[in-house]
Amino acid sequence: MAIFLQLLFTGLGIGAIYALVALGFVLLIRAASVVNFGQGQFSMVGAYLLVVCFNVLGLPYLLSMLIAVILMAGFGVLFAGATYWPLRHRGGLPVIISTIGASIFLENIVLVLYGPSPEVLPGLFDSPGIQVGPVFMDSQYLSILVSATLLVILQYVIFEKTLLGKKLQATSQDKEMASLLGIPVAMMILITFAYSAALGGLAGMLVAPVLFVSVGMGGLIALKAFAANIIGGYGSIPGAILGGLALGVAETMGASYISVPYKDAFAFFMLLMFLMVRPQGLFGEKISEKA
Amino acid sequence: MAHVDLASARIWRGAPQAVAACVAVVALAFVAPAEGYYLNILMQAVTYAIAVSGLVVVLGYCGQISIAQAAFFGIGAYGVAIGTGDFGLGFVPSLLMGVAAAGLLGLILGLGSLRLGGHYLAMVTISFQQIMTLFATNWISFTHGPDGIRDIPRPTILGVSFANGHAFLALCLVCLVFSTLAIWRLKTGRLGRAMQAVRDNELAAGTCGINVFGTKVMAFGMSAVMGGVGGGLFASGFQYISPDQFTFGESIVLLTMALLGGVQSPFGSLVGTVVLVLLPEWLRFLKQIYLAVYGAAVILIMVFLPDGLWGLMLDRVIRRSKPIVGDVSPLPLLSEQGAETDEIVLKVEGLAKHFGGVKALDGVDLAVRRGSVHALIGPNGSGKSTFINVVTGLYRPTSGTVTFAGTDITHAAPHLRNRAGLARTYQNIRVFRGMTVLENVMVGAERPGNDIAENPAQVVDRALAALDFVGLRADAHRQVGALSYGHQRYVEIARGLAASPQTLLLDEPAAGLNLTEKHELGALLRRLKGHGLTILIIDHDMNLVEQVADHITVLNFGRRIADGTPSVVLANPDVIAAYLGEPRREAA
Amino acid sequence: MLITRRTTILGTALAAATPLRFARGAEETIKIGGIVPVTGPAAEAGRFMQNGAAMALEAINAKGGVLGKKMEWVTEDDATTNPGAVLGFSRLVSRGDCVAYTGSIRSTQVQAIAPDVLKAAKPVMFGGTNTGLTAAGNPWLFRCRPNDSYSGRVIADFGAKTLAKKKWAIVHSTDAFGSGGMQSLVENLEKMGIKPVLVQGYTNQQTDFTPVVLAVKSAEPDVIGSYFTFENDLGIFARQLRQLGVQAPWVGSPSIINTTALNLAGRSLFGTYGIADYTPDSSPEAGTYAADYTKRYKAAPDNQSTWIYDGLMILARAMNDAKSTEPQAVRKAIIAIKGFKGTEGTYNFDEKGDGLRGYNVVKNEAGKIVFDKHIEFND
Repeated sequence: MAIFLQLLFTGLGIGAIYALVALGFVLLIRAASVVNFGQGQFSMVGAYLLVVCFNVLGLPYLLSMLIAVILMAGFGVLFAGATYWPLRHRGGLPVIISTIGASIFLENIVLVLYGPSPEVLPGLFDSPGIQVGPVFMDSQYLSILVSATLLVILQYVIFEKTLLGKKLQATSQDKEMASLLGIPVAMMILITFAYSAALGGLAGMLVAPVLFVSVGMGGLIALKAFAANIIGGYGSIPGAILGGLALGVAETMGASYISVPYKDAFAFFMLLMFLMVRPQGLFGEKISEKA
Repeated sequence: MAHVDLASARIWRGAPQAVAACVAVVALAFVAPAEGYYLNILMQAVTYAIAVSGLVVVLGYCGQISIAQAAFFGIGAYGVAIGTGDFGLGFVPSLLMGVAAAGLLGLILGLGSLRLGGHYLAMVTISFQQIMTLFATNWISFTHGPDGIRDIPRPTILGVSFANGHAFLALCLVCLVFSTLAIWRLKTGRLGRAMQAVRDNELAAGTCGINVFGTKVMAFGMSAVMGGVGGGLFASGFQYISPDQFTFGESIVLLTMALLGGVQSPFGSLVGTVVLVLLPEWLRFLKQIYLAVYGAAVILIMVFLPDGLWGLMLDRVIRRSKPIVGDVSPLPLLSEQGAETDEIVLKVEGLAKHFGGVKALDGVDLAVRRGSVHALIGPNGSGKSTFINVVTGLYRPTSGTVTFAGTDITHAAPHLRNRAGLARTYQNIRVFRGMTVLENVMVGAERPGNDIAENPAQVVDRALAALDFVGLRADAHRQVGALSYGHQRYVEIARGLAASPQTLLLDEPAAGLNLTEKHELGALLRRLKGHGLTILIIDHDMNLVEQVADHITVLNFGRRIADGTPSVVLANPDVIAAYLGEPRREAA
Repeated sequence: MLITRRTTILGTALAAATPLRFARGAEETIKIGGIVPVTGPAAEAGRFMQNGAAMALEAINAKGGVLGKKMEWVTEDDATTNPGAVLGFSRLVSRGDCVAYTGSIRSTQVQAIAPDVLKAAKPVMFGGTNTGLTAAGNPWLFRCRPNDSYSGRVIADFGAKTLAKKKWAIVHSTDAFGSGGMQSLVENLEKMGIKPVLVQGYTNQQTDFTPVVLAVKSAEPDVIGSYFTFENDLGIFARQLRQLGVQAPWVGSPSIINTTALNLAGRSLFGTYGIADYTPDSSPEAGTYAADYTKRYKAAPDNQSTWIYDGLMILARAMNDAKSTEPQAVRKAIIAIKGFKGTEGTYNFDEKGDGLRGYNVVKNEAGKIVFDKHIEFND
């Protein structure tokens, strides 16, 4: 039981990371029908920005995070301009490929600029964690869980309670209609890119003390996050969060109780099972095409 | 009989080129340096190119994304390595074993496309790729694990030894020539056209008699086989393989190769492979930043070269502009100068379709007699489109039966209904945009069950006859997307006519046409009526309907409110109320 | 010039794209070709490697070079992949002017280029530790690090004899390096009559090691042996191991004491033991090298740079001994080398091409790597 609880806690912590990255995915899918294979690199770039602000420039930790998040938002707009905008009328596949190109570009340009040596970032708290009964709670996992919860609440408030959020929602539901209603659709899409990049970057910063900052850190999480997305229901916000948590717990449990070397296979088997049996995921809508 | 001679109909098409290309590549292989850098780079380019040509089939022709080609490449490679090493088999049986395993897994992966498309499929293939890598790494007793397998022998086939670098390269090149030509020919063959139809428009492909799902599975299988062949040759060429050569990253590289060169042609994929094998080599002088440049190049290619390098090259040459001259046999329906009979071809009873609480159709009866023009009319939202979609199998009915030519087809798949002789057009035009006008119509002529479907020359003949009938023969080789909206509609009608259907369903053919075009359409429909084709036309253009209909059924709110001859129906007060009570809007 | 003529006939984009460097001008220097990871995950190791090679060249050329000429090291990127290594190596061979080569510290890459090495028929110095590489009968492969059979043997010997621990848990990467090392460690423990209570593999590049740590914890070992390939994995494992309260002594493969791992894992690795082919205070040669390296590059050296340093030094020595660069003569001269004091240890090459037969055991004392003892075998 002690082992089970420990695994559950860790699984949720890892799952929260997947969920945060998955959230960034979902927003782009909804707003711009873009499947962004560069989402993981958002996290990587974000973490490196934090390294620059905190380790190099020596700014206070929270200020560094704030600056990095703002820079990431701007980066998201640049990213959209390079990979999405010129291809927006050509369907999903060209954009997928160009985001793959962007991910290769980003990883290698960071490699050139910053070198391959992984960087260390301290956590939000000095203490490594707290012991609750049989479970050791890593302080950074706790931070991630709390941050993820806060972000979900924040996102809910923005989307449901503000005019901007309503406009963003309208854009994601029906671009033509939104445009007819005078909503600046292009602007809404760019805002979504900025938000998604900021969110991805923040996820990277939160996970950096756990996984270290390396060029490959984003790719590691992004594929799982995408899987979480589909398990939860393609394009569904609660789906992305629950999918991420479910995936984190499932693979941690699977690794412990079945096989460690095949740990990564559980995520993908789970994904395949869902796709075969319940392709709409936990929260998704039925897939159908109208004649 | 056929008087036309179309390149794509010739059985031996490409054979002389194949022989010439084989001789050329064998010669090339023997002047290439035997060992070292150039041999390795050629070997890599050639074996990759075979695998990438598989992506042309699945992605280029069939429009299904696959990010697992490196896994199939690896399965082929492991087949050869394990077959020759551990099972003591010869090269050929080992290769066949690996290719069979790849093909089988490809078919299974293709099953995933049953309900899924686009990004879902991308994710399924990525998952498959990852799982394969994990197996190759961790199933040590079978795959030898991460150490890989070394000393993979080169084969002796029919007494000829391929141990020497030249000879093996020649073998690989000959395989490449055959795979490239085979895939090039596939494109203009029946299966290739079916794949492209699926890619361009699944629904229309289904109602043109194509087994959409089966075609996709076939494309996946063929693609996996090409991957397996490439991988098998790779293993023997480099004589050492390990799991890290067949990872997700490699799948991305293979995909990029296909897209860069142009995924619509195996020549394109060949160009793309050669460029991407060489590009990192050329960019070596850039040292650390070459991968960054590579990534940026991928984006630039997507933005500036949508059809790849091959597309760019082709754009510089005017292609296939020669019109096809010669006589064609008349459409068979033109000879059946039959009048209206009492035989009921299409019988619909109690048909209902509910979407949640909305009763789009609520117990509709309808009977179409052979040789008649039957019109189904009704205001917007009356259930006309739902009706035709249920009849052609795109929607499943909530209740009721559909009987066609004496067979109950209520639960048959769309392509099976088409095979029975039910052809249709769409209100929102559904042509196959990536194909030429002629190819579009050939897809119709090739419907299984059509009398000439099995004879390629007669398929062309029939398609040209149908285009003749609608007056578009001069445009046969144009891309269908380049035609005006009205002419695209004619292409759809010609596609239906070429199928020699027992009944043709026209879904609002006048929608979106201007006045002149509507006149032409009216004339065309009268000609068809004159030839005795059974037609079920759905429209709300009264003028058009009055010109051609022998019998009219009126729907409102999912129910039949009138049925009979035009004069009786159009005088019916319910019908008048239905039409005048609601604003008549054109649905575009 | 046969190759050149043929290449001209080949004529196509290939030749146009990759200008051949002609064999002329080779008179000036003795060229050693080397593949180096400039890109990809091992790019950092590649940088260390280039530093080590630069120092070796400087030392060799300061003492008059090889056969009266300067030695030069020409490199190609291997992109940290096997196909990249094959292409890079064959590109070096195609130059036609290299008299010997240096390979990779990664075993699978050496494995991948082995067929081409056999065809090139010139000595290749390499650093991969997979035992099979030299055991397969390829006469041109020379290893400048101790092979994995010794690493497992040293870990077993140190843990079971020096530390006197009998309850072993082994954690290893499932890649070639990790599983090879694990097998060697298990075999050597079994020779001493010890059966490990846990042998746990993991796949490289994990986000979390809790399941592994819990498996170790419930096995209640009194010593841990490990083979980690990537420092990120080692760092995460080490931190979680300590967080979940496992304090057993830990003897790890060389990655446990490399600079990056020490930087990433920090306190979590304090008190652990590692085996090292290179340790600054294990010998005067090693110490001098460390001092020079630190002076030049403002960083501590590790084994990524020392094996190539030794490899180039050995090649220079062998060519000078043989008074020739003819491959067979150089090969004989390398095998004849006995008692050559390099930075990694004392080289005594055998017919198979193995030069070293022992490891240093070092201890991490509050972040400082301290030489503990050298364990050497004679068979």
